[in-house]
Amino acid sequence: MIKYIGNRLAQILILLVIYVAVVFFLLHSMPGGIEAVLATNPNLTPAARESILKAFGLTQPLPVQFVLYLKNIFTFNLGISYSFYPTPVWTIIARRLPRTILLFTTATLIAFFVGFASGKSLAWKRGKTSEYVSTVVGVIAYTVFTPLLIFTLIWFFGSYLGIFPLNQFLNPDLWIRTNLNAQTIFLYLLLTISLIGLAMLASFAIAQKVSHRVKTRKIIFYISTAIAIALAVFWWAVSPVGIYGFDILWHMILPVMAVTIISYAGTMLVMRDSMLETIKEDFITTARAKGLPDKVVRDKHAARTAMLPVITNFVLSMGFVVSGGVITETLFSWPGMGMTLLDSVLAKDYPLASGALIFTGIFVLFAHLVIDIVYAFLDPRIRY
Amino acid sequence: MKPILEVKNLKMYYNTRSGYVKAADDVSFVLNEGEAMGLVGESGCGKTTTSMAIMRLLAENAEIISGHIYFKGKDLLKLSEEEMNKVRWAGISMIFQAAMNSLNPVYRVGDQIIEAIVTHEPNVTFEEARERVASLYKLVGLDPKRMDNYPHEYSGGMKQRAVIAMSLSCNPDIIIADEPTTALDVIVQDMILKEMSRIQKKLNMSMIYISHDIAVIAEVAEKIGIMYAGKLVELSDSVTIFKKPAHPYTVGLMSSFPSIKGEKKELVTIPGEPPNLLNAPDSCRFAPRCPFATKECWEKEPPYEEIEPNHFLACFHPQNLRKQVSEYARG
Repeated sequence: MIKYIGNRLAQILILLVIYVAVVFFLLHSMPGGIEAVLATNPNLTPAARESILKAFGLTQPLPVQFVLYLKNIFTFNLGISYSFYPTPVWTIIARRLPRTILLFTTATLIAFFVGFASGKSLAWKRGKTSEYVSTVVGVIAYTVFTPLLIFTLIWFFGSYLGIFPLNQFLNPDLWIRTNLNAQTIFLYLLLTISLIGLAMLASFAIAQKVSHRVKTRKIIFYISTAIAIALAVFWWAVSPVGIYGFDILWHMILPVMAVTIISYAGTMLVMRDSMLETIKEDFITTARAKGLPDKVVRDKHAARTAMLPVITNFVLSMGFVVSGGVITETLFSWPGMGMTLLDSVLAKDYPLASGALIFTGIFVLFAHLVIDIVYAFLDPRIRY
Repeated sequence: MKPILEVKNLKMYYNTRSGYVKAADDVSFVLNEGEAMGLVGESGCGKTTTSMAIMRLLAENAEIISGHIYFKGKDLLKLSEEEMNKVRWAGISMIFQAAMNSLNPVYRVGDQIIEAIVTHEPNVTFEEARERVASLYKLVGLDPKRMDNYPHEYSGGMKQRAVIAMSLSCNPDIIIADEPTTALDVIVQDMILKEMSRIQKKLNMSMIYISHDIAVIAEVAEKIGIMYAGKLVELSDSVTIFKKPAHPYTVGLMSSFPSIKGEKKELVTIPGEPPNLLNAPDSCRFAPRCPFATKECWEKEPPYEEIEPNHFLACFHPQNLRKQVSEYARG
């Protein structure tokens, strides 16, 4: 296993170099570019333009620029953003990456569990009206034009009902009265949510070790999860910054809802198909013949086995999370990686654009690695 | 001998778009305590359907039109799903046609057996269940250490033995073995059958063997039922079936398997193939393939009657046919 992870890390490194090369040359082959932007500025003398280009190292030939860029990446130096001059790209990404990660991991996890559970019961209720309705709704959600869905959500919840904020990351009217740093509060939020996630994982593992009975396991898991959530809620409620954390969460609800609706259907439809395949297997008949209750046959035997292709689909959808993120974040004015990517490409801000692409690339590559490792635990037939 | 399972006039049809498929039509038999019975017939003649009806594990479009299945005096067809779940495995357990695939690939084999035990006997602790599995493994000739392995780490024969151990796990009164050895090679087949027969006698259980191979059944069963096109056409003790078969189909089945010992003779095939059970006609279903069919056979359905003590038959021309059939085949 350790050898396998080592191999995979080496692979990731090679892939990353190739990926950086593609990103770098692709961005530089776009027409226009910073030189053109500077050339069309009438306030610049040719001498000043020349010195600016020289300062950014743009006078050197492209291959030399690439080698320098590649060298700099390994020292965590991604250059300086043109549009946010003189902020280093690294600083901008460090501020914005967590926002995207929180938004999309939350939405993707919710979508996965909702899709998994509904796909499971859909297959079990094959042929009933509720199955047809849910399948049609799922296909609509899967194929809907993303901006249309988002505008509908914003109109309905933000404008018509007026219960959620229209867009943005926080409410400036609230934050103007305090000198708290939104980023710090946000990082605390992220930390809290990660801790809850860790507590859930740990209690799941402990429950597996402690008892062989499904009921006891479930009780342990639910109680410890409830305790972890209650503790977190209590801490935020008591703390004076609780209201600010709540404000950020409040702004997150609509974007999370949008991404969840877009991505749950994929999981649901794959799970439904996979379940229908699995139900025909002989070991399901065996499980029924053993006199196991219907729910146990469905959850423990059918769903557990049918889950494997769904996980594969889930990994593949990680890539779409990035592309979908551009639209979602821009429409919600959510200052994350997707919005950064779009803005920087439009502004010909190459260092920021390639930095954003490289980080999403790293994210996807590591997500694949994590899922591959998880797969080994889920399917005993797979050994590395 | 006390009867433990009584199937009475069971009619199970599949409701399809083009009509009813009469998969099991008027099947009746009695299984006594400690008795081993065989059900023999070609593929698609209703053997598996009958056993699935006993377990009530039927497909969604299956309809039980009429009949009763009495297990220890209770009619299984009238039980609720929860009550039926208690009968499954603890009362009647099964060894499935494809034992290879009847173990869930993502759970340890031992755990899958333990699951059955703790479901039916909630008072048994995990450790006690493990011990029972270990002793079952010894009984079927498997190393108890292997119970923590996954199914894909077993060979075909080992999976078969594990499935047998699983079927024994809740001390059932009846085990239905549906083609238990079809997927195995001949040597392992024989070993497994002998093992099963030994265990069945040792634990004094009742057993229903289902197979298309009458020779295999003859080795282990005391009573043999012959099924053809959804109907039970002949039922008697195995000696009678072999010494004086009365139904032409039974004779045909026996002539189509070679015997190692007896005289050398030509293998006889039964001409034609089983009829389509979709909207099957109300005549003798074997008539199109039967060399002795008369006008009567094409018009009426032969009643299923006891022609001599413990010998049931559904044929208008009961007689000792063996010789005639082989003569017919030669000539």
